[in-house]
Amino acid sequence: MKWTVLAIVALLALVLSVVLGPAAVPLGELLHSDIVWNLRAPRALLAFLVGGSLGVAGASLQALVRNPLADPFLLGLSGGAGLGAVLAIALHLPGPWALPIAAFIGALAALGLVYRLGLIGGASLDPRILLLGGVAIGAFAAAITTAIVSLADAAELRNAFLWLWGGLSGASWDSVLLVALYAPIPLAVLLAASRPLDLLALGEESASYLGADVEKVKRRVYLAASLLTAAAVAVSGVIGFVGLVVPHIARLTWGHRHRSLLPAAFLGGGALLAFADTLARTVVAPRELPVGVVTALIGVPVFALLLRRWTVA
Amino acid sequence: MLRRLSVVVLFLCACHTSARRHDAPAYRVVSLLPSFTEILFAIGAGDRVVGRTQWCDYPPAARDIPSVGEGLPPNVESVLARRPDLVVLYNAGPNVTAAKQLERAGVQTVLIDLNRLEDLGPAARTLGRLTGRQERAESLAIMLDSLAGRPPPPSTTSLAFVVWDNPPIIIGHGSYLDQLATQAGARNVFGDVGAPSAQVSLETIVARDPQWIAVLADTAVPPAFAKRREWRAVRAVREGHFLLLPGSLFGRPGPRSGEAIQQLRALLAR
Repeated sequence: MKWTVLAIVALLALVLSVVLGPAAVPLGELLHSDIVWNLRAPRALLAFLVGGSLGVAGASLQALVRNPLADPFLLGLSGGAGLGAVLAIALHLPGPWALPIAAFIGALAALGLVYRLGLIGGASLDPRILLLGGVAIGAFAAAITTAIVSLADAAELRNAFLWLWGGLSGASWDSVLLVALYAPIPLAVLLAASRPLDLLALGEESASYLGADVEKVKRRVYLAASLLTAAAVAVSGVIGFVGLVVPHIARLTWGHRHRSLLPAAFLGGGALLAFADTLARTVVAPRELPVGVVTALIGVPVFALLLRRWTVA
Repeated sequence: MLRRLSVVVLFLCACHTSARRHDAPAYRVVSLLPSFTEILFAIGAGDRVVGRTQWCDYPPAARDIPSVGEGLPPNVESVLARRPDLVVLYNAGPNVTAAKQLERAGVQTVLIDLNRLEDLGPAARTLGRLTGRQERAESLAIMLDSLAGRPPPPSTTSLAFVVWDNPPIIIGHGSYLDQLATQAGARNVFGDVGAPSAQVSLETIVARDPQWIAVLADTAVPPAFAKRREWRAVRAVREGHFLLLPGSLFGRPGPRSGEAIQQLRALLAR
């Protein structure tokens, strides 16, 4: 029953984001319209894929670091991606894909540094150090980014921040194809780790008594979730709250079993972002809201309600 | 008694400085906007300019003047280091604070609005009065006023100014560039957007189908987004109808606004 409802909600979000838009396209011409085929459809799919990926990455990271506050961007990736994007503009890297590629590389560099910091105490990946390292590396990268922006001459550098918080304007069939080919690999890795993730939620020691290879699982989950997030930031910038709120909502309905929690977070995240992007494109048309604003405006009240429920219960 | 005397002396000093402030023309001017630098040179006060922003590149003689940096917001210390008796600032939030700091340091400041064509005449008159170049300022102001008051020609083509591609940011009605387009005989397809600039969806640009995409660029090559697949949904992008406008001429209202309008008209007539 709850799966049917979720599937319908997800489908509805996708259909709405194709049907609705600032340009008036009559329903009869929907299937022949250039706007629908070349702009709305890829944008809706990209929103769904990115939202879903963020949902799954958030759910896995929350289990990994055993912290309900964990968000895919908490681990320094947004800072690294921003630095990459600013460098691409400052160095005048040519080509239409220079910015996303540079952002992806920046996110990977941050990921590598945080991972190395997480291993600082020896061979075991410490979730607390992972969190602290993520925040520190993110702040460091953001500081360098700001220094470049304020020292460099190019006025367009300020726009790098627009890009970073930009959302889904860059959607095309190219970027959909890219994500559709890339995302299934880390998604499969995370789904395969659902059982060890269940155990990990009990604590590392208990998990290892129950037969989980804790070290291997932690590394795998951290790398897969971060690689997923790095791709999301490269095609759509930093979109907040999806990876934080959706896993919590999914956990309330589907419980703590990751085998069902992760697919639910994927569909829920996809539906939320597709729906938020539809609102972003239409409510102030012909202008557009940054989609991160809409996800926060929807996500935060829901989150507040949940917090209330938790504290009352 | 002594105390009362010192108060009187202080009062007289205050009168003296404020009298000098308002009557005597300024001889050491720091200009914190490229438009102001151009106006100052155009009214024959270029030799009074002792500081400029890093963006002030016209007329060529302006480049010989020491730069005080970005200008918005200004670095108050490097402005003061030029020992100015007048600092001209663009009237915007961070500059208001800087102007107060400069006034406290004993330097006369003036905040001038310069967002649209009709702001040019008053700006030229203000700068003329402050530098004692009233006559030349007045003739420049009359020319600029007539530019702003001229009824626009009927529009024969349409364009969209694209400031940034992801997310797409365009220029709306409340801006100088919109006025340039109108005066050059082109309709800004986002003339209904009240704000100077705004984020829009790509599909809105496709639907409004401008004949030209105008970008401020100092190069002769079309912007990188011209090659991106989603932008090729815009007809003007597919057909390569780009207007590449040098920022130094088109990006600022100033004495050369008339020239900018003429060049834009020539580009549109191609």
